[in-house]
Amino acid sequence: MADQLPPPIQSQTRRSFLTEMGLGFGSVALSAMLQKEALAEATNALPPAAKAKSVIWLFMIGGASHMESFDPKPMLNKHAGKTIEETPFKDVLSSPYLENERVVAFDPNNGFIRNEIYPLQIGYKKRGQSGLEISDWFPHLGEQADDMCLVRSMWTEDSNHGAQLQFHTGRHRVDGFFPTIGSWVNYGLGSLNENLPEFVVMGNPLADCCGGREAHRANYLGPQYDGVPLKIDPNDPLPYAKPAQGVYREEQQGEFELLNQLNQLTADKFPDDDAVRARIRSFELAYRMQTAVPEVVQFSDETAATHKMYGLDQKETKTFGQQMLAARRLVERGVRFVQVYHGSSGGAGRWDSHKGLKNSHSKLCKEIDQPVAGLLKDLKQRGLLDETIVVWASEFGRTPGSQHADGRDHHPFGFTVWMAGGGIKGGIAHGKTDELGFHAVENRHYVTDIHATILHQLGLDPHQMVVPGRKRLEKEIGKPIHQVIA
Amino acid sequence: MRNIFSVFVLLLLCNICLPLINNLQAAEVDYARDIKPMLIEKCSSCHGALAQEADLRLDAGVLIHQGGESGKVIDLEHVTESLLLERVTTDDVDLRMPPEGEGEPLKKKQIELLKAWIAAGAKTPKDELIPAQPKDHWAYQPIVRPAVPEISSTEINNPIDAFIKLKHQQTGLQTAPSADQHLLVRRLYLDLIGIPPTREQIVQFDQQASEAAYSQLADQLLASPQYGERWGRHWMDVWRYSDWDGYKQQLRGSQRHIWRWRDWIIESINADKGYNQMVLEMLAADELMPEDYDAIRATGYLARNYHKSNRDIWLDATVEHTAKAFLGMTINCAKCHDHKFDPIAQQKYYELRAIFEPHNVRTERVPGQANLTLDGLPRAYDAELDVETYLYMQGNEKHPDKENPVSPAVPALFDDSFKVTPVQLPAVAVFPSLQPHIEKEQLAVLAKQLTQKQNALKKLGESADTKQATLQMEVAQLKLHSSKSRWVADKAKYADAAKEELEKLAKLAATEEREFNHQQAQLDQMLKQAALDTAEKVEVTQLAEDADDAVKKKVKAENDKRQAAIDKAKKDLKAAVDQLAKTEKARKLTDGKYTSVGTAYPKTSTGRRLAFARWVIDPKNPLTARVAVNHIWMRHFGEPLVTNVFDFGLRSPKPEYAELLDWLAAELIEHNWSMKHIHRLIVNSQAYQLASSMNPKTTKANQSIDPDNRLIWKVNARRLDAEVIRDSILSASGSLDLTAGGPDIDFNEGETNARRSVYFRHAYEKQMKMLVLFDTAGPNECYRRSPSIIPQQALALANSPLTLSQARKLSQQLSEEFPGSDTSADSQFIEAAFQQLLTRKPSEAELAACHKFLSTQATTLADATKLTSFNGNTKAQVEPAADPKLRARENLVHVLIHHNDFVTVR
Repeated sequence: MADQLPPPIQSQTRRSFLTEMGLGFGSVALSAMLQKEALAEATNALPPAAKAKSVIWLFMIGGASHMESFDPKPMLNKHAGKTIEETPFKDVLSSPYLENERVVAFDPNNGFIRNEIYPLQIGYKKRGQSGLEISDWFPHLGEQADDMCLVRSMWTEDSNHGAQLQFHTGRHRVDGFFPTIGSWVNYGLGSLNENLPEFVVMGNPLADCCGGREAHRANYLGPQYDGVPLKIDPNDPLPYAKPAQGVYREEQQGEFELLNQLNQLTADKFPDDDAVRARIRSFELAYRMQTAVPEVVQFSDETAATHKMYGLDQKETKTFGQQMLAARRLVERGVRFVQVYHGSSGGAGRWDSHKGLKNSHSKLCKEIDQPVAGLLKDLKQRGLLDETIVVWASEFGRTPGSQHADGRDHHPFGFTVWMAGGGIKGGIAHGKTDELGFHAVENRHYVTDIHATILHQLGLDPHQMVVPGRKRLEKEIGKPIHQVIA
Repeated sequence: MRNIFSVFVLLLLCNICLPLINNLQAAEVDYARDIKPMLIEKCSSCHGALAQEADLRLDAGVLIHQGGESGKVIDLEHVTESLLLERVTTDDVDLRMPPEGEGEPLKKKQIELLKAWIAAGAKTPKDELIPAQPKDHWAYQPIVRPAVPEISSTEINNPIDAFIKLKHQQTGLQTAPSADQHLLVRRLYLDLIGIPPTREQIVQFDQQASEAAYSQLADQLLASPQYGERWGRHWMDVWRYSDWDGYKQQLRGSQRHIWRWRDWIIESINADKGYNQMVLEMLAADELMPEDYDAIRATGYLARNYHKSNRDIWLDATVEHTAKAFLGMTINCAKCHDHKFDPIAQQKYYELRAIFEPHNVRTERVPGQANLTLDGLPRAYDAELDVETYLYMQGNEKHPDKENPVSPAVPALFDDSFKVTPVQLPAVAVFPSLQPHIEKEQLAVLAKQLTQKQNALKKLGESADTKQATLQMEVAQLKLHSSKSRWVADKAKYADAAKEELEKLAKLAATEEREFNHQQAQLDQMLKQAALDTAEKVEVTQLAEDADDAVKKKVKAENDKRQAAIDKAKKDLKAAVDQLAKTEKARKLTDGKYTSVGTAYPKTSTGRRLAFARWVIDPKNPLTARVAVNHIWMRHFGEPLVTNVFDFGLRSPKPEYAELLDWLAAELIEHNWSMKHIHRLIVNSQAYQLASSMNPKTTKANQSIDPDNRLIWKVNARRLDAEVIRDSILSASGSLDLTAGGPDIDFNEGETNARRSVYFRHAYEKQMKMLVLFDTAGPNECYRRSPSIIPQQALALANSPLTLSQARKLSQQLSEEFPGSDTSADSQFIEAAFQQLLTRKPSEAELAACHKFLSTQATTLADATKLTSFNGNTKAQVEPAADPKLRARENLVHVLIHHNDFVTVR
C-alpha cells in the first residue's frame, strides 16, 4: 500500500473533513474554504431542499437528429419527397417561432429550412412499461426508457454551431462568454470530496468556432470554478502524477502544507485576486488528485460484468464506455458535475450530418448507446440514480427536410433533450413538436429551462446566486420544468 | 400578439382572387415583421450599408422611399408599377433581383406581401435606425494623431497617462498607487526579457538610486538578446509559428528547418527592425531582396502554411491569417459569400487569394549540407506566374467560376496606389546552384570519390585482376570531369555569355556527359555480368529419394530462390546491355544537350506579394499600425485596447481608449515603426507602473464603476506565460542556457535541456508537455493566449524532475553562501530564496512559517525508517542532499517555485 494515500474521503461535509484531517492548512486557508461552504449552505438552505447531489451532462457535438432518436415523426415517411408546402403542415413555414432564430454569420451552405421532406432513416419501438418511443439506433438505451424523461419541445436561437456554447451559457455566441451551467453548480455547491475537482470535463472539447473551452469555464465567477479536464486513460491517467524517484510522501506533504500557508498569506494580502484563491484550491486538489485520479480510472476494480455493461469489451464503445464508467466512479466519489463531450471533430462536430445521415448517425448512436444505457443501469443498481441527474443533449436538432439528398440541416426550432434520475420522472415524454418535428409546439422550453431544472433539483436557486456588478437576464436563468419533477 | 396567421390565410386566397386582395390584406402586413427581414435577407448585401449598388439602399424605410439612380422605387399611386416590384417580379433574368447566383428569387407569397405593404402606403416606423455605413467605422478612419488631453491636476509626463487620467477623472475612478519598486523591476524583467531578476540584479538596481535608474534598466533590457526571444515568441504566436509536422518522416505541414524563420524573427526584433520592414520581408523578401538569404528566411511566414494534401487549405490559411494578423480583418468570412458585417464582397477574398496564388515553397541548399532533409532554407517563391484564380461559388472548390478569372487586388480601405509590377530576378535566384558553395561542395564530393577509387586500384597491386577497379576509377574520373564542364556551361548560361561561346561549352559538356554515361554503362554491364556469374555458382540442392515432404518443400524453396536470383540477374544484365547500346549510340551525337547541374526557377516573380506588402505597410493604411500597437499593448497589460485583436471590423465597437490607440499608432509610424520605441513609451508610463492592488474600499468603489478594469485604474496581476515559467525555473538556479538560435530541439528534452523554451519543437502534437499544461500557444492559431488554472499545473511544478533539480541546485548555492543551521543562517537563507524567486523579502509571518517548516521538515526527514517513498518513474538530474537540514532547505526552495507569486507577475 506504499502507493496509496489515505482512502478518499466520501460523503462528508467539508467542515468535518477539515476538522478530522487536521492538516496544516492554517486557519486562514480553512476559513477561505469554509466561506465557500457557507455560501453553499446558504443556498442549500433555500427551498426547495436538494433532491440530487450530482449531474452527469452528456453533450453530443454537432446537432443530433431528434427525429431519428427520441421524437418519432411518421408523417415524414408519409410525405417523404414532398415539399413542406405540399403537406397539410405548411403553416410551419409561417410560424412566429421562426423569428427566434438569430443568425450569426449567414452561410449559404447551412442554416436553412430544407423543404423536401426526408423520411425517417430508422424505425422506432415502444419501450419499457411506459411505452416510450425510442429509435432502433438505441436498443440498449431503450431498455432504460422507464427511467428516462424525454423533453421533446426544446428550442434555441442559433442555427449554427455557436449553439453549442449557447446550450451551456444560455447566451447567444455573439453576446460573448458567460459562466456555464457546470460552473454555476460548482459555484453554488460545496464539494463532497476534497480529493477530486468538483467539476470534471471529459472528452475532447468544442472547437474554437463553437465556443471552445469556454463551454466548461466559469468566466466572471473566477477560474476556480472552471471545469477541470481529465483524460480517461488507465495507462496515463494524469500528467506528472508522481514526483521523481527518491521523493518521500511525507516530504511532499510537508511542502504542500507550507505552500498553502504561504499562498494563503498572499491571498490575505490581495483580497481581490481571484487567481491566488483558485491556485490554492488547485494545489490542494492536485496533491490529492495524484492518488485519487489514477484510482478513479483503475477499472480493474470493476467486475467483468460491469466492463461488459459499459461496452468496454467492444472497439466502438470502449472510449465512451470508459468515460461513462469514470463518470459513475466520479459521482460515486462526490464530484458534483461531470461534463462529457461526444463527437469532437475539431470543427462543427461529428453529429453534424448534412449528408450521409444514416451512416454517420448509426455509427455515432452505436458509440454511445450501450455505454449510456450501462451508466443508467449501473447508477440504478447502486442506488445512485436517485441522487444523480443524467442529461443528454445536443445543440439543436436537424431539419425535417433533406439536404444533399441524404442528410439534414441544422434545426434550432424544435428538438429533444432527455434527463434521467435525480428526482426527475421516468418513462415520460414532455412537450411536443408538430407533426413534422419542425416547431416545438407544446410546453416549449429554451435551453436554460434544463439548467433551471437541474439547479432546482440540486437545491439551488439561481436568483440567489448573485455576483456583484453582474446582472443576469431571465433568459440566462430559465425556469424549472415542474411537470417533469417527481 | 397580432394574429399572424391571418396574413397567411389571406395569401392562400389571393392566388385565387388576386384583384380583390391588396386592400384586404394591407392592414395585416407589418413592415418590421414581414418586409424588413425579407429586404435584409434578399437585398441588403448590395443595397445596404455595406454596398449601395445603383445608389440604392433598402435597409431602412427612409432610404427605401428615397430611391436610387433610377429614381423612386416605390410608387404609391400605381402600386404595381413600383420599380421595386417590377425588378423582383420580372421574367427577364438579366433584370430580375436578386441577380442569378446571388439569391433565390422572391417567392410568390413574399411578392404579395411586398405589394400589400406598398398598397397600404409602404409605412415604416419614424424612429427606425439607419444602419451605419462601414466607411464611418472607427477603424477605417485615417490614423490622425489626436491631441494629448491636457490634465491640470497631476504631474503627467507621458501622453499615455494623459489619455488614461482623463478617463479616470471623467468616470470618477481613483488611480492605484505606484507599484513597489522591486515588484516593478520584476515586472519589467519578466515583461521585456521573460526572465526574472536575480538577487544581484536587484542589488545593482538599488545601488543606482537615481531617478533614471528604472528607465535605464528598461533600455538595458531592451538591448539584451533575451528581449528578442521574449517578444519574438509573442509574434510567433500571432504569425502562427510552427515547426514541421507530419507522420513519421513524412512532411505534412509547415516546413523542415523553419526555425530559420524563428531566428530571423528574434534577430530582427533585437535589431529593432521596423515592424513595416518585417511585414515586407515576411510577405515578399524573395521579390524585394532576392539575393539576401538572411532576409529570405522571413518568408518562412508563408512557407509555414504549406499543407501537403490540399492547396486550397494552404492558400485559405495564408489569406485568412495574413488578413487577421496584419489587418485585423476577418476576410475568411467572405470565402463563401459576401461578408455580412464588413464591406468585403466574396470577390475580395479571391482577389486577395490571387496575390498568393502563384507562390510556392522550396528549400534552398545551405553551406555544408547537401541533404535537404537534414538542413536547408525553406522559402517562398513564385512558381506559377500565369496561374489563374477562380472564385469558388459558395466557397465550394468543386464549382470554380472559370469564366471570370479573378485578378489580384486589395480591399478598398484607403486611397491607395496598389500596383503590381513584375520583378526581374537575378541569376542566382533563378538558378540557385550558382551559389559558389554548392559547386565547391559538389565537386569536392566527386573528387573524393575519385581519390577513393584511385586508392582502391593502387591497393590491388599489379598481380590482381584490375579490370573492374580500373574501370571504376575511370568512371569516377569522367564523372568529375564532365561535372566540371557542366558547371562551366551552366554558369556561362546564367552569365549571359556570347552565343557561340555558350554553344561551344554546351557541346563540350554534352560530349563529356555522354562519354561518362557510356563508361558508366560499361561498368554496369560488367557488374551485372559478375552478379549473374555469382548467382549461377550457387549449387542446385539435390534431393535424396527417401526425403520426406518437409525436406522436399524446403529444398524446393531453396532451388526456387536460386532460380529467381538467376532470373533477376539475367534481367538486370539485359537492361545493362540495352543501356550500353543506348549510350554507345548517343556517343555519336554532337549536339549540346547536357543535364543541368541544378534546378531552374522562373526568371521573374509576379510582384503581387511585394505590391500587397507595400499596401499593408502604407502609412495611410488605417489598420496595420493600429493592429500592431494593440498586440503590443495587450502583451504589456494583459488586456488589449481593442478587445478582439484579430477583428477590427464592424463587429468591433470603438474602444474606450480609441484616441490612445491612435496616438500610439501614429507614434509607431512616425518613429520608423520601431517597436522598442513603443515599449519605452509604455513601460515608462505611470499606467504601466501602477500597483496591481489598492485598498479594499477604493477597489470596491472602482469596481462599481469599472468591474473589469477596462480603464486601467490598476495593473492586472497576470499568470506568467508557459515559456516564462520554465525559463524562470532554470534561470533562478543559474542553469538557463542562453545560447541563441539554431535547429529546433526535441520537445522530449524539455525536462533535461536547459535552453530557452522558445527553441524547442513547437508543432501539432509535438510540444513540450509542461508548456501545454500552462496554455502555450496552439501552433495553428493563437492571437491571444488563454491562461487557465488547473490542478495539473500544480502537479507539473511539484513533480517535474526539472523543478526538483533546479530547486536542489539553487538551495545548494544558497547554503554555500549561508552555511550553518542556526536561526540567523536560516533567516538569511530564507530571505535570499525569497529574493531570488519572488523578488521580495518574506513578511514576518512568512519568515516564521518557513523557520517552522525547516525545523519540522528536517525532523521528518531525519528518520528514514518512517518515510514512504513514491514509486516515481522519472529521475531528477540533481540528487537531494543527504543532510536532512539541507534537504529541508531544498524543499523550501521547491515550495517557493510553486508559490503563487512565482508564476504571477504583479
